[in-house]
Parts: sequence; structure tokens; C-alpha cells
Amino acid sequence: MKKKSGELHVAGVCKSYDGVDAVSELDFRVYRGEVFGLLGPNGAGKTTTIRMIMDIIKPDAGEIVVLGDAPGVARDRVGYLPEERGLYRNLPVLDTLVYLAELKGQPRATARRRANALLAEVELADWAHRPVKALSRGMQQKVQLIASLVHDPALLILDEPFQGLDPLNVELVKSLIRKLQDEGKTIVLSTHQMNLVEALCDRILLIHRGRAVLYGPLREIKEQYAPGRVRLRTSGEIDSLPGVQKIERDGNSYELTLKEGAPAQAVLQAIVERGLPVELFAVASAPLEEIFITAVEGEHHA
Amino acid sequence: MRRIWTIARHEYLVNVRRPTFLLLTAAVPVLGVIGLIVAAFYAGQVGNFFEKQFSGEPEHVGVVDQSGLFTPILADYRAQFYSYPDEGQARQALLAEKVSLYLLIPGDYLATGKVQVVTQGSGFGAATASESTNLRRFLVAHLLANKVEPAIRARAVAPLDAIPVVLGSEGKSTGETSSAFFFRFVVPYLLAVLLVITIFVSSGFLLQSVSEEKESRVIEIVLSSVTATQLLAGKVLGLGALGLTQILVWTVSSLALGGGAASLLSLGDLTFIEPSILLLAIVYYILGFTLYAVLMGSVGALGTTMRESQQLAGLFSFGAAVPYMLSGFLFTNPNALLARILSFFPLTAPTMMMLRLPLAEVPTVDIIGSLVVLVASIPVVLWAGAKVFRLGLLMYGQRPTLVQIWHTLQRGV
Repeated sequence: MKKKSGELHVAGVCKSYDGVDAVSELDFRVYRGEVFGLLGPNGAGKTTTIRMIMDIIKPDAGEIVVLGDAPGVARDRVGYLPEERGLYRNLPVLDTLVYLAELKGQPRATARRRANALLAEVELADWAHRPVKALSRGMQQKVQLIASLVHDPALLILDEPFQGLDPLNVELVKSLIRKLQDEGKTIVLSTHQMNLVEALCDRILLIHRGRAVLYGPLREIKEQYAPGRVRLRTSGEIDSLPGVQKIERDGNSYELTLKEGAPAQAVLQAIVERGLPVELFAVASAPLEEIFITAVEGEHHA
Repeated sequence: MRRIWTIARHEYLVNVRRPTFLLLTAAVPVLGVIGLIVAAFYAGQVGNFFEKQFSGEPEHVGVVDQSGLFTPILADYRAQFYSYPDEGQARQALLAEKVSLYLLIPGDYLATGKVQVVTQGSGFGAATASESTNLRRFLVAHLLANKVEPAIRARAVAPLDAIPVVLGSEGKSTGETSSAFFFRFVVPYLLAVLLVITIFVSSGFLLQSVSEEKESRVIEIVLSSVTATQLLAGKVLGLGALGLTQILVWTVSSLALGGGAASLLSLGDLTFIEPSILLLAIVYYILGFTLYAVLMGSVGALGTTMRESQQLAGLFSFGAAVPYMLSGFLFTNPNALLARILSFFPLTAPTMMMLRLPLAEVPTVDIIGSLVVLVASIPVVLWAGAKVFRLGLLMYGQRPTLVQIWHTLQRGV
């Protein structure tokens, strides 16, 4: 049962409701200290997967290992911000956070200290003793995020943490996530905002209709979706290059299509050897949003 | 266990501050104090007033005796009965409200037994005069005066002072007085009433707590920290303690006020319950409460709104109330077959047994059987309740169908 390599290991997991597969044969791993993107269109099976990881529901088949143990055993070391979320409306903010931390096994004094520190970090210290219903929607979002952190978890599962936040607060939460990653925490991030996935995630899993469609390091996936294309800006003249199949020019900008299997590194070397001044050399990659749509639509047509 | 305690503590502290709880809890002592103040203010006057209104006995009676059988009035009766030589004077006394009625006893009374009862306005009715014990005693005592021995006359006047004796199963007398018999029934009966009240009050809080957590979506965070069973158990404990707090406040204030009232009205000692029955009643109370609380918690998770949950819960609350609907029938036959059957059904067993215990010697098999049924059904209800609870909690905006509930219980997942 013990797994050393990953903080989270999902293997061959299936779950169906009334004969409809919500998740089928799902495999993935999340490694320590990374931000892992769990992506998919609405109804893809993300929430079902997360609920199984949190031991709120049980899989029909397969195995899930969370922080080296079965789901549920390690629940005190996991933080969870669900998509369907809310707080006790009439309870003061601090009391709510302390109670939720106590449910995770934290002593009351420790919980109180951490809750106060985190509230200060998201600029809500003045609201600690106000009832939750007095807070704006954005403030409540931040309190909910703190509720998932207040017991100092090793693994954090955040389902749509940016929902309803203004750009300033999006930045605040982004920097908080980066800080948590620096502290060595592992984060599973589920969101529809692809620009934030690109900014934060190391690896991703895209699921559609309960199955994995894309899985791996974000950079590699992006390269896969724009294979053999290089963007180059130079004041020199180029008409042919070894390993290059096609050259398109627009002023000083070139778009090079490489021959199959030709490494971009060799092309760069050839340009440098010719003594051409290179202002920009970039291996082109498609935006994640485009990849998402292509992958999901590809599945539809498949 | 620590999580259950944390949840119980949270539920208790949150709900104990609810205005509805505070108002309801304070209502009994406040009303009691008001009652006591009113009683103290009017003291004896109030008692006398009610006694006069409801006793059906005239206070002062005039007698116009034309038969010669009732004069002079015997010493024992002179405080209440006044003799008038003719009807005119008796009528004046009546109009002056010196007497509330007068009797005109004709010369042929012995032969006919007819007596005119004259009253004024809507006071003591002539119609109720024939039911009056005092008037009968007055007539009998005077008819027999100097004709029989005083002891026989006294028995003719008051022939029956009933002392009820209840035989136990071994044919031995339980040696209790009529008031003890009355209270022996009343206290467990009140306990049974308290059970039903607590079930309704606490289940209301349970429903509210579960519905609120479901509606506000905080439930998903809570269920990622504790199991559904822990959550349900914590809520039942916390809100059970809340219900007990309410009962404690009511009982203590009632006893304090009752003691105050007793000393005020110079009543005697009010100890009246057989310890074994009280103990059993408390056991049934705790088991009954736990069973119902678990049921209410699970049902609370099923509805999409508080109102819908309340309707569903009402179906179960009905079970606790059924024995009360049968109480008229139970008074005459506490060990009837229907009563015995309902004692073995978990939903009706607690209240049914609390009602039966003080009324008669309940067969031991019924006591043991009902306790076993209750103790055995609680873990089953908790297990099934937690499954349904979890199923219901995670379905936002829709209610699980009976088929879904059945599948959940079958899977046991």
C-alpha cells in the first residue's frame, strides 16, 4: 500500500452512477512539491475523482493512495477547497476556521493562531470576529481558501479557487499558491482558467467523459501540440537551413517548419554558425486553451 | 471519538444561542413565575374563588322547616345551615345574599321526599341541588338524630371512604394511597410527554442544522474531514445534550416553582414515584431519544430544503405520538395485545412502555423484549442513517429517489 514516489496515486479507478460511467480506468500520479492541474470540461468527472480522493465517495474499482495511505486515513493532512462550497453564515469567521481545523484534528490554540496568521496574509484580519454573512463574496472565497489551509496540510486540493475573485485577489491567491509550493506542499488545482494553469502548473491531467485525454508535464504537452515549429526573429537573410522543411517570412520574423525528427537545437546551432544576429528563437507552442479545445473536440469526433 | 466530541460541542454551542431555543426554554419558568406571583398576590382568595366556582356545593343554606324534622339544626351543621321561621325571612336573606339558596321543607316531606330549592339568578342551580353531598348529609343526619346510635348515624351520613389497594402479581398489596397511585402514573406519563416534546424540539434543531449545512454547501468541507457516521453521531450527541438542557431547565424550574407553590398552598411532601419505574422510564427516554435523533438527522439530509425535510420527518414523529392516541384505551387495558405488539416496535416502544409501566404490572418479557429491540435497532438505524445521510448530503438541489436509497443501502457503500 505504501507509495514513496508520489503524494497521490490513482490507479485504474472506476466509478459509475446508475450505469453511467463518471470515471473509468483513471490513472495518474501527483509528485511531492508540484502544482498539478486537473482539467476537464464540465461533467468530465473531476469532482467525482476529487471526492474519491477525499473519501467522500468510494470508487467501484481501482486503488487510490493518498500520502502513502488509503483515502480517509490521511484526511487530516489533506486540505480541500470544494467547488460546491460554503460556510456557516451566522458564525464568526475565526470561529468557523477554528472549528474546521479542529475537525482536522488540530488543537484549538494552534488552529486559532494559524487562522489569525492566514487571515492577516489575505488582508482579512479585521474581519475575524464578524459573522461570515457580513463578508463580500470575494472575501468569503478567501476565507474558504484559508479553511482548506488552516490545518497545515501536506496535500492541497483546490477546486476552482479563483472563482468569483477580482484580478487583484486572483494575484493574491496565485502568490499564495506559489508560496505554498515553495514551502514544499503538493497542490492539485482544478480550474477552467487556462491562463492560470499555464502560470502555475508543472504537470496536468485533462479528463473528458471520465477518461484521461492528456497527461504529463505541461511543457511537453504544449510542444506535442505544435511539433517542429520555431519562431525566429533576425535582421539577417535566411533562405534555407539544414533540417528545415519550410520557411515563411514576415519582415524580420520567420516561422520555420522542421523536418520530422529534426531537433530545434541543431537549427539554432546552424544559425549561430552562420553568424546571423538572433533577436528571438522560440520553440512554438499552442496556448493551453487551444490544446484543451482540440483535445476535447478530438474526443467528441473519435 | 474526539471528532464526535468536537462536532457535538460545536452543535451545542451554536444552537444554545439560537433565539428560538432561548425563548422556548425560558417560556416555562417565566410563565411559572408569573403564575406563582399571581397566586401569591391573591393567596387564599384565588383558591376559595375556584373552589366556590367548581365545587358545586352551596356555601350558606337557609332552611324553612315546616315538617319540624330539621329544627333545631345540629351543632355540626350550624356553620353552614341557618334556620328561618318563615319563607319571607328566608327570601330576604337570599336577596341580601346572606345565603346562596334556601330549602323549603314542606310538612309532608316524610311522605313525599319533595323539597323546594330556591335560588336567585344564575347561582347554585336547583338542578344540581339533588347532587349535593352536603345537602344529603344534612338531611340524613337530622332524620336519624336521636333515633340510632351516633356511630350508625355517622356511617349513614358518610358510608364510604375508599382506600384503593392494588395487588401485585404475588397477590401482595403494594400498600399505596390513592394520591400515590395517581402520581405514580402521572410522573412517568409526564416523562413520556417530555420525550415527545424533546423529540420534536431537538429534531427540529437537527433538521435545521443538517439542512443549513447542506444548503450552504459547507457539508462538503465537513465530510472531507470526518465520516458521515461521525458527523451524524456528533450532531445527535450535541443536540441531544441541548434537548436535555431544555428539559433540565424546565424540570428544575418546575420543581423550584412547585416547591414554592407547595409551601405557599401548604401542600404536603410531593414524593410519589417508584424508583424502579423512574429508572426504566429514564432508560426508555434515552434509548427513544437516540433512535429518533438518528432518524431525524438522516431524514434531514434527504430534503432539499428545510420545509421538505420537516415534512419527511413528520412521518417518523408520528410513531412517537401513536401511543398517546391510544391512551384512552390503555387506561382500561394496559396489557392489551395491541399495546404489547406496539411495545416491540422500535418507533412506538419508548412512549408505549413509558405509558404502560405506571398503569399496571407489565410482563417482564415485554420490558426485556422492548429494551432489546431498541438497543439492537439503534446501531442498525445509525448504520443505515449514515448511508442515507451521505447520499442525501451530496445531492444538491434534488432529493434521492427511494430506488437510489435502496441501492445505497444494498451496496453498503
